[in-house]
Formats: sequence, structure tokens, C-alpha cells
Amino acid sequence: MNAFLPLFRTNYRDFVRDRTALFWTIAFPVLFIGIFGIVLGRGDEGASYEVGLVVEDQSPQAAALSQVLSGFEAIALTRGERETEIAMLADGERRAVVVVPQGFGSSISRDAPLPLQVHFDPSQQTTQQVVIPVLLRAFEVADRALTQTRPVVTAEFETLQSERLQVIDFIMPGLIAMSVMNGGVFGAIAMVSLRERRVLRRLSATPLPAWALVGADVTFRMVVVLVQTVLLVILAVLIGGVSVKVENLPALAGVAVLGGLAFVAIGFFLGAFAKTEQGFFPIAQVVTFPMLFLSGIFFPLDSMPDWIRPVVSAMPLTYLGDAMRQLMVGGAPVHSMALNLGVLTAFLVVFFGLAVRLFKYE
Amino acid sequence: MSTPVIQVRDLRKAYGDLQAVAGVTFEVADGEVFGMLGPNGAGKTTTVEILEGLRIRDSGEVGVLGMDPATSGRDFKRLVGVQLQQVALYPRLRVHEVISLFGSFYERQAETEELIALMGLEDRRNARIAELSGGQAQRLSVALAVVNMPRLVFLDEPSTGMDPQARRNLWDIIEGFKARGMTVVLTTHYMEEAERLCDRVAVMDHGRVIALDSPSALVRENFAEDAIEFVSNDGLSEHDLGKLAAVTSASSQGSAHSIFSSDIPRTMGSLLDLAQARGAPLEGMRVRHATLEDVFLKLTGRTLRD
Repeated sequence: MNAFLPLFRTNYRDFVRDRTALFWTIAFPVLFIGIFGIVLGRGDEGASYEVGLVVEDQSPQAAALSQVLSGFEAIALTRGERETEIAMLADGERRAVVVVPQGFGSSISRDAPLPLQVHFDPSQQTTQQVVIPVLLRAFEVADRALTQTRPVVTAEFETLQSERLQVIDFIMPGLIAMSVMNGGVFGAIAMVSLRERRVLRRLSATPLPAWALVGADVTFRMVVVLVQTVLLVILAVLIGGVSVKVENLPALAGVAVLGGLAFVAIGFFLGAFAKTEQGFFPIAQVVTFPMLFLSGIFFPLDSMPDWIRPVVSAMPLTYLGDAMRQLMVGGAPVHSMALNLGVLTAFLVVFFGLAVRLFKYE
Repeated sequence: MSTPVIQVRDLRKAYGDLQAVAGVTFEVADGEVFGMLGPNGAGKTTTVEILEGLRIRDSGEVGVLGMDPATSGRDFKRLVGVQLQQVALYPRLRVHEVISLFGSFYERQAETEELIALMGLEDRRNARIAELSGGQAQRLSVALAVVNMPRLVFLDEPSTGMDPQARRNLWDIIEGFKARGMTVVLTTHYMEEAERLCDRVAVMDHGRVIALDSPSALVRENFAEDAIEFVSNDGLSEHDLGKLAAVTSASSQGSAHSIFSSDIPRTMGSLLDLAQARGAPLEGMRVRHATLEDVFLKLTGRTLRD
């Protein structure tokens, strides 16, 4: 008598036997996260950066400098000749090459120190952001050791957000939000297909209440969204090396479901304008595609021109991405969590209401 | 006769300018197989869908199982069985899965395996819907119409897409429904199907019932005469044939001719004379009783398949 479970099972069977749906909802986001994880990932936490050291001076000062440099764990020092090390840099085998020029020691004694030469590839972001600061710090330490001075001004830096947010930490929550959006909006295609195939009409000739049909469908979509989210978070950690705030994971799941519901409602609403499954795709694309680029998924919102801000503010993915980023990695909030949740709830209520109004059995 | 299962009085339904149903009145008795015969667009499906509660009528009175299908909602839908045209069920589900799914919508449900056996789908039990032939899909759709063991079942063109053998099997199944005491409302444009299955037939055209009676009575009322059919590819016109002795009507479609005659020997004699005089060949000549098809042609001037 209770048709909810049989309908849920029907959705499940229909889904797992549909290779296209499986690809787009599971394999595609997994590939996406995997590729981003490999390209932008932190890699091994303990790994150090290869730096070449060319010492052309035999003085004790040069020896002391080499010792200080080799004491830094973040850099793996290799000594070599100038030509070979520069060639290694050109080949990408070195992040930077430090040259201690001839006469370095005596120049210090003469109180007219020769500068060290640091070769690097400025197009390499990690070199710019990580290796150079480490080298500067190393030179500072060496400087003090050589001049026998004590530092007067010191500072300890305490970051407000989680320790070191990198590009990957920014992008992963956004990608998960993107999959929730796609899972929700494109999930509505099942209903469009049932209508196109006249199954909805046939069901309307049975005593099946509409809430059971819609309820079973939406519940199933939310299970898919949750499975997707869990899978992608695990991949983000394993492949991307993202440090996830474990204590926030239940809240993250909750936000994924709220976002999923809002996007399913939008999908149902869009479904009212499509007669066929084929006709639904372009409509859904037109709505989801701009959100990918303008909701701060790939590019931070503060890098966008002011005139586009109203558009950004009108997009539900902006709020879902922001909420997920805050919860997952402790990213800096764009909006307060209350605003994010409020806007998503508003989208859910408004579009579900519209979808119910526009719903047709055929 | 007990209270009718279905009562329809002056039913009307328009889609924009098109008057799909233009004042239809009939009753269906308990246990009857009631046919609605007519070409596409005659208003059969619209009428049936109003009786099923799927469409709302513009005007007229409708009572089905003592209820108004337009307002009785789920209570009504529990009691009737419905088969619709052109439903393409979940393509990736298996036959037995779809039957149990539909069964789960009702308190009263037939055994899935029994239904599969009844419809002769045993060897397709685990097949996906997308793999079924047109005839098999049609049988499944009839099975779903009786999944709640209803007192009243509507079948809308159930034999569409079936080969002659499958169609005969379906007729046996529908006769089985009747034997169990079900009332069946059946739309079709196969005259043979209506003649074989229906206790009474409503002939519909342009949204109206133009004749309503048992198939044999319909033929008797409209044709006291029998038909002579033959093929002649040369020079015999409808006009010539109509003037032969004892002919009541003649019709030609290309080289195929049929003549209705109140006196077969006299007509036959004059036909042979005419053919001889014209030197026209006569092939495949046969004499037969009139059929519902003839009735339809006479009443509407069109054939059922037009």
C-alpha cells in the first residue's frame, strides 16, 4: 500500500542502470576533483623544494652560509657547479639556484658585502610564494649568524583562518558545490522524462498521491547529493591534500542537502518549460553554466569587477559555495552563514512553489 | 438490468475551436464489454479519458460506479483500471518490477507472477521495458490496467502494434476479464476486434455517437443485403455498378469494387453481362455478409482507417 519505498527503489534502479546519469553525477565530478587535486594539490606535506647551491667562494663565511641553508627543512639543498645547476633550473629540476659569488667572504670583511645571486622562474607560483620567502628567511638567519647581531624586532604570525589556505583549498569546496548544483538541477530530468514518456499521465490514473511521487524522487536526489558530497570530500583530502575541518562535516552534509533541495526545486521549475528530455538540457545549461564562472567557484569574488556584483548576488551557487567553503576548510566568509542558509532556503521555497504551480502531468 | 456501471448524458468537451466530444449519451451495463469504434480523432479517447477522471468535461452528466470521476479523486481511481495509449514506461525497469511498482499503489493487488502468466509474459519477466516488442509492451500495459483487480477496466486501443497472433491472444485475455465479471470499455479501430469482443458498440464520428447496438444488430439494421466483392482493373465505374439490378449501393477503391445487393443472383447476372459487354476481367470474386466496417462506411462515408 505504501508506495514511497517502491518508488524510491524505482528511482534507484532507473538511476544505477542509466550509464549516462551515472557518468555525469558520479564519474564526472570525481574526474574533475581528481584532476584539480593532482594539478593544484599540495602533494606530500613533508616534501621540500629542490634548491641548487653554487659556492664559488672558499671563505669560512661562505661555509657558514651553506650550513645555515642546509638547516632549513623546507628546502633540499644540492651543491653543484654554476652551469649544471642553472641547466637543472631550466629543466625544472630546481626551484631556485643560489650562487655565492667569489670574494663573498672578503667582501664582508671589507664591509661592502657582495649580494648573493638567486636564480628562479617567476612564472612558477609555488616558487614565488613558498621558496623565495623561505630563502629570504634563511638569508636573514645567516645574516645574523655572520654579523653576530641579535634580532630586536620579532613577530609571531597567527592566521585567522585555517593555517595555510591554498588554491586547492579554495577550489575544492566550490567544486563540491558545483556537483550539488548539477545533481539537483539535472536530477529533475527524470521527471521531465517521465512526463515525456507519458508515465506521469499513467500514474495520474492511479490513486498514487502526488506528494509520494515527488517525495520519493526528491529523497532519492538528496541521497545522490550526499553520496556525491561524501565521495568528493574524501577525494579532496586524499588527492588534493585539502585539510578538512572534520568537526564541520555533519553541518557540511546538511548544507549540501539544503543546497540540493534548492537546486532540485530550480530543476523542477525549469522542467516545466521543457517538453522533452532533449529540450531540458539547453535550458538547464543556460542556467547553470554562468553560475560556474560567476559564483566564486573558480575565481574569488573580490577579483570580479563591481558592475557584475548584482548578478553574482542573485546566484544561489554563490551562497552554497561560500557556505561549503566556510564549513569545509574554514575559508574567509563572503557572507554570514545565516545569510547563506537564508538565501538557499528562499530559493527552495520560491522555486518549489513556482514548480508546483506550473506542474503538468502532460 | 441492474444499475448501469457507466451513465453518460450529453457529454461535451472542446479543445479551443475543436469540439472533440459534441453531445454523447450512452450507458454501460455491469459485466458488459462495451466498444467504442471510430477513426482517429472521432472523440473516443477524449470520452474515455473523461470517464477515467483524467480530463474535465465542459458539460454533461457523467456517473461511473456511482461517482463523478471529475471530483471523486483517489477513491474513484482505486476502483477502476486504466490503460492509456502511447505510454512508454520506465525503459530501464524490468517487467516484474513495473508490475509490482504499480501494485504498490493499491490496497487490493493481483499477484505479480499471476499477472505475468495471465499476459503470457513469463519468458520476458526479467526483460527491461526498452527490450520489449510493441505487442509485449502493449500486453504489459493491459496487465497494469488490472493490477488492482478492478470491477471496471478501460482499454484504449489495446491491440495497437500487435501482430494478428498476439491480437488473438489479447482477445482471449479480454474475454477472460469478462468471464470474471469485469466490465470492460474498449476503444478500437479494428472492426474485427469489436465484432469478436463487444456486447455492444458505439460507433463514433466527429465527436458524436452515430450508432449504438450489438455488432450483429448494427449490421442487420443497416444492411438487409450481402456484398459482392471483386477486382477489375478495367473500365467498370462506381456509377455503372450502381445501376445493376437489385443493387442498393456500390463503392470502388481503385480496382477493388464492392456492391451491396438485395438479390445476389439477379445482381450477379447483370454484372456478368456488363463485364462481358465491356470485355472487363473479373478477379477474386466473392460474396460475403456485411460487416461493421461496411456499417461505418455507410454511416460516415469513410473507412475506419482513414
